[in-house]
Amino acid sequence: MTGALRYEWARIRSIASTYWMSGLAIVLTAGLAVLLASTVSRADFDEAGVDNSVVTNLVILAGGALPTVPVLTAAFMSVLGVLAMGHEYRYGTNKATLCALPDRLAVVAAKVTVLAVWVAGVVATVVVLNTLIAFLLMDQVSLGSDSVRPVFAYLLYCEGFAIAGLGLAALFRNQTGAMVAVLVWPFVLEPIIYAVLALVTEATNSDLATLTNFLPAAAGRRTLFDPYSLWAGYGGSIDTWGLGLSFLVFVVGVAAAAAAGAASFISRDA
Amino acid sequence: MALVQARGLSKTFKGKPAVSGLSFDVVPGAVTGFLGPNGAGKSTTMRLMLGLDNGEGVTTYDGVAYRDLKEPLRHVGAVLDAKPFHPTRKAANHLRMLAVSNNIAPSRVSEVINLVGLGEVANAKPKTFSLGMGQRLGIATALLGDPGTLILDEPANGLDPQGVHWLRTMLKGLAEQGRSVFISSHLLSEMALIADQLVVIGRGSLIASGKMSDFLSHSARNAVIVRVDNPELLTRELRARNAVVDAQPGNRLMVTGVVGDAVGELAHALDLTVFELSHQQATLEEAFLDATGASEEFRASLGLGPGDGVNVGDSAGRP
Repeated sequence: MTGALRYEWARIRSIASTYWMSGLAIVLTAGLAVLLASTVSRADFDEAGVDNSVVTNLVILAGGALPTVPVLTAAFMSVLGVLAMGHEYRYGTNKATLCALPDRLAVVAAKVTVLAVWVAGVVATVVVLNTLIAFLLMDQVSLGSDSVRPVFAYLLYCEGFAIAGLGLAALFRNQTGAMVAVLVWPFVLEPIIYAVLALVTEATNSDLATLTNFLPAAAGRRTLFDPYSLWAGYGGSIDTWGLGLSFLVFVVGVAAAAAAGAASFISRDA
Repeated sequence: MALVQARGLSKTFKGKPAVSGLSFDVVPGAVTGFLGPNGAGKSTTMRLMLGLDNGEGVTTYDGVAYRDLKEPLRHVGAVLDAKPFHPTRKAANHLRMLAVSNNIAPSRVSEVINLVGLGEVANAKPKTFSLGMGQRLGIATALLGDPGTLILDEPANGLDPQGVHWLRTMLKGLAEQGRSVFISSHLLSEMALIADQLVVIGRGSLIASGKMSDFLSHSARNAVIVRVDNPELLTRELRARNAVVDAQPGNRLMVTGVVGDAVGELAHALDLTVFELSHQQATLEEAFLDATGASEEFRASLGLGPGDGVNVGDSAGRP
């Protein structure tokens, strides 16, 4: 396993795409944080009775706690995850990799581990940088205990997207297909499914909309909200599951993609 | 310096056998050429030997299966593709990445990259490499762990004549050091110069394995050239003994199906004057074509006459 970890650590650091994806995630998220910190109006939030730590989190997570703002770091890290496995098939390096490291489970485990560490580093950079931006541009910054939970959720959300990307690339053995899947599923398909179920529920007065609780990307996204109950404002009449169950749905979704990818990588011909 | 033993290698793709019960040895101290027509299963066999494909059978390296080798790059070096690297990862970084996985000293990266003649482009991105340079980087990868066994699939592809000469000299030198070198190639003239041993397959099954000299001596293309004062009489008598006789320019007869001594004895018995009697050894190409004639997966006609267009099908005439 140590050989596989050394290999993967050398691999991820020796290609430009790693730095491009990480750099874009950091720079664009910081840009979004600057935009938010410059435009949020304290008065509006005060009127709505929203705590100052919520506003601070809005900037630190670059809008991650708002359903209308895409989580850029997660998107870029999912691409990084796809490339971690997709390059092996795109350039035929999987044979060289497996000649050096025949234990395929160790190879997958090392890829997941190194990717998770790298993503944690990127997310930490994003959070620190955006916190500095908040201190520099906001009149009032509040880092209460309420701020910690969404930040951890943000980290886990980005980790989940990266690992799902890696799993899908191993499953499809095609990085373009995996990239489309990991981006289209959460940002296009799930919102469509969500909207359709909500409309059907409204029209038929059924409880079909509760099925939206099983959408893993949406469930993961809910865990970022601060406070969690904020989601209710966007969920309308849908009976949304609590924080713990939502997190579980997200983890199960990511684990399913990762397990399917790992099983494919281990069992199929190189 | 390992004895490589492949036993019962088999693999099917969608019900069609690609390799069937293949068993052979690759011995230390020799270059073993791996020959077969297109689609015969050479690459599949090599992947099976390295545990990259699922299939039946086992290949051992001094008794140990590939997946059980500790730090396998120190035991077996392999090149299966022409350009098996990321196009924007520097050549030296590609080798460093593999080296760290098997605890190979970083200094070895510089050694092998200079050995294959890529020292000047060690820090270049391989996307700018020619096919030949890509092959050299692949060979550097195989040599990285200073392994006792080399498995190379078409390593001369894309190399210029100097490169082919370099590769031949290097591989023969490595074999002389006692290593086991197993290479596939379609360049039969090159294989004739480099290989000591041969493994020949057709349609996934073993056709021959052993010394190259034995393979050549058993070819039906071996012939006896004879010139006598009465070629008609000798032709008649040889054909009566089931020999194949072709008239050649200069009153020579090319005789196949009998050995030279028998031709000489027959001529003597017939009281003929023998002006010339020589043995014509089949070339590797002739012996290979002779051995694999019925094993081509895809066959094209010369397509010179009406209705004789290119016919792609198997040897049984199936389209």
